[in-house]
Amino acid sequence: MKFRPNAMEAVGALMVLSLVLVAILAPWLAPYDPTRAVANTFGDPAAPSRMYPLGTDQLGRDVLSRIIFGARISLTVGVAAMAVTMTIGVTIGLTAGFFGGALDFALMRFTDVMLTLPALLLAMAFVAVLQPSILSILLVIGLVSWTQIARVVRAEALSMTQRDFVVAACALGAPSARLIVRHVMPNVMPIIVVMAVLGTSGTLLLDAGLSFLTLGVPPPTPSWGRMIEEATTYFRVAPWLAIFPGLAIFYAVLGFNLLGYGFLRRRARAASAL
Amino acid sequence: MNMHPRRHTRSAKGRAISTRAAAIRRCRFALALIAALIALPGCRSGAPPPQFPPGAMVLKLAAISDVPTLDPAAGYDVDSWMFEQMIFDTLIRYSDAGVDLVPDLATAWESSPDSTVFTFHLRRDARFTNGRIVTSADFKYAIERVLDPATRSKGMEYYRAIAGAEDFAAHRAKSVAGIETPDAWTMVFHLIVPDPIFLQKLAMPFAAAVPREAVEKWGDDFSRHVVGSGPFMLKEWIGGQRIVLVKNPGYFVKGSPHLDAVVEAIGVSEDLQWFKFEAGEIDVSNIPPAVFPYVMKTPRLRDLTLRIVTVTTRYMGMNCQMPPFTDERVRRALNYAVNKPKLIAVLNGRGIVANGVMPPGLPGYAPGLSGYPYDPARARELLEQAGLGHGFAATLWMPADQTMMILGQSIQQDLDLVGVRLRLKAVAFAPFLEAVRQPRTVPLFFMGWEADFPDPANFLDVLLSRHQWGANNDTFFSDPRVDALLAEAAPLSDLARRYALYREAERIIVADAPWVFLYYPITYEIQQPWVHGYVLNPMRPARLEKVWLSPHPAS
Repeated sequence: MKFRPNAMEAVGALMVLSLVLVAILAPWLAPYDPTRAVANTFGDPAAPSRMYPLGTDQLGRDVLSRIIFGARISLTVGVAAMAVTMTIGVTIGLTAGFFGGALDFALMRFTDVMLTLPALLLAMAFVAVLQPSILSILLVIGLVSWTQIARVVRAEALSMTQRDFVVAACALGAPSARLIVRHVMPNVMPIIVVMAVLGTSGTLLLDAGLSFLTLGVPPPTPSWGRMIEEATTYFRVAPWLAIFPGLAIFYAVLGFNLLGYGFLRRRARAASAL
Repeated sequence: MNMHPRRHTRSAKGRAISTRAAAIRRCRFALALIAALIALPGCRSGAPPPQFPPGAMVLKLAAISDVPTLDPAAGYDVDSWMFEQMIFDTLIRYSDAGVDLVPDLATAWESSPDSTVFTFHLRRDARFTNGRIVTSADFKYAIERVLDPATRSKGMEYYRAIAGAEDFAAHRAKSVAGIETPDAWTMVFHLIVPDPIFLQKLAMPFAAAVPREAVEKWGDDFSRHVVGSGPFMLKEWIGGQRIVLVKNPGYFVKGSPHLDAVVEAIGVSEDLQWFKFEAGEIDVSNIPPAVFPYVMKTPRLRDLTLRIVTVTTRYMGMNCQMPPFTDERVRRALNYAVNKPKLIAVLNGRGIVANGVMPPGLPGYAPGLSGYPYDPARARELLEQAGLGHGFAATLWMPADQTMMILGQSIQQDLDLVGVRLRLKAVAFAPFLEAVRQPRTVPLFFMGWEADFPDPANFLDVLLSRHQWGANNDTFFSDPRVDALLAEAAPLSDLARRYALYREAERIIVADAPWVFLYYPITYEIQQPWVHGYVLNPMRPARLEKVWLSPHPAS
């Protein structure tokens, strides 16, 4: 069957792809060094101009260059944190769903407890203890956002274990590990991918939120959340300082969301076609 | 006192803000909105606000958190002092706009040439608001109360040089022998060591006259039932809601104060204060950093601002016990490497480049110091000489605060150009103060010092002498020449000679460079066009007895 992306998938994929390209090509795309002062606009941010298309901030740094380099941090943290999230969520979900019983009960109640804790507050507490760095932040985000994934994966895995082919493999004496890896996992993979893509927009936002609360990647590394935080001082005289990084976050989140919902729609169609 | 990044002016309480996480402050805007919704008319809770007759002149203020105390023996922060100086009188006080001493309850005073005997003559027409005349015994009682360990007053150290103070504090004497009250209107202080700044210490609210009968009646509750002789008296203080002061009709200065009352609403965040100011609901306000650039770019608002260079110095301390800052060349290099005029620009002009330890406005200030101009080439040269031509990495500690973080990034940019890679570490204010006091812990840190009294000793001695290691000398700087000069200057009452010695000590300190001398901050407040006679003081909260209001919409 030929792969025909639906509109949401196509637009989402293009947006995400463009972000990835910007992040990879940042040193070539950015007109200036994002950490150095390139204009004498100290304490008096400059509006967008031909030389500085998105203006310069109160430390004389080029906003466009900072947004371009900020994409690196946002994507790295967003995607890597999602990888951590997935590792934890899928492991717990599969284990609970496949083995069921007391283990399932214990793991799911633990997940419920985690769900009741607000992710942002939990992340703030973790970061405050761990000291902000890229590694600590992506670990922390992963640690606080795996719950939804664990629940969905568990539900899928649970239904898989009832399917004939799994029961058959089990009857043939296949060990649990083989059952999970060869039979259950491949069949829950599509939903895992959808959850991962959708979840990335969440981790991106969480990263931006932590940065805004000055708990993100420490300066001088440019990050979108911190750009907005620093712009609050000038919001009434230089709103563009906050608006452009805000748009960047919006763009990234929208891209991942479109892509994720596109996948979801494809699954729904496929399911209804059966 | 150590200065919090936001100068603890009337509403920005040093202690209150300092203990909150920076994160919480980031949510201020949202909280302000919620608070604004809750405060909508109709859903207001608590006691009804006090009613004043039409035409009454009421100054309306707002603050984030409650006044810590009104007891002069207890208060040691700008917020308490603001109200204490309205309710109580000291013998002498600072002038409205300066750091020179003027009479308060004393009409005249003399000091012996060696600064060990101080005589005061009191006015005879001052009464406490309970009707009793204020006498010298009331001042003696106030100081004995501060010296009594049971009071646990932070002002104790200032009066220990009075003869017999130690005996009194140790309960070996019933009263302080060195405070004589030959009659109700005369007071004589005898000191065991010369103290040329004893007058300044008597101008602190700790030494304000309090009536013994009221203190003994209320005990620990005196703070809520204060009785003083000052221009205003306490009418109502509802914790967490508001504090109301009304005119003292018996105040000894005829025709003063002009205001009928002062009402401060408590629990109003900085941003909400700003909204209230813009709505004309409060008369004088701080300017939150988030609107400062907007205010300065709006002529209508800019014209309403008041500006004062406070007696404060901000610096970046370098720990002289931690390599590479043990090397004077490295410390000097950093001074050349930091672009200070840029810092001032980043602060939107709220500062003056510092060339030394002592701020302008401090008596003894040395205007001739050249300091360290911005010269990265010279900085690289010095680092080269110190064997650090390849650069090094260091961590700059700072109180968690948006402005500090921006300044830190500016310095980070500057030092990057000379090969010094700076890591910025933001810490809550209380643990920050704790950390810098530990030896060999904090290599670089932002710090500020605001004068307790106007004398060079309050900066040089307190911040840079050997005996303050682990207390206020956070750079662990020590130079025998400086210590010798400070010891020589301390007892001198000949001001010319005293200041000359302090300036010599400062010159050596600047050359040794334990600090990167950053800037002297400028504070701004904003007042409504109908407020008159409101004057900022460089070292103390503004006094309100000369303030008056012309008719205005909200009145």
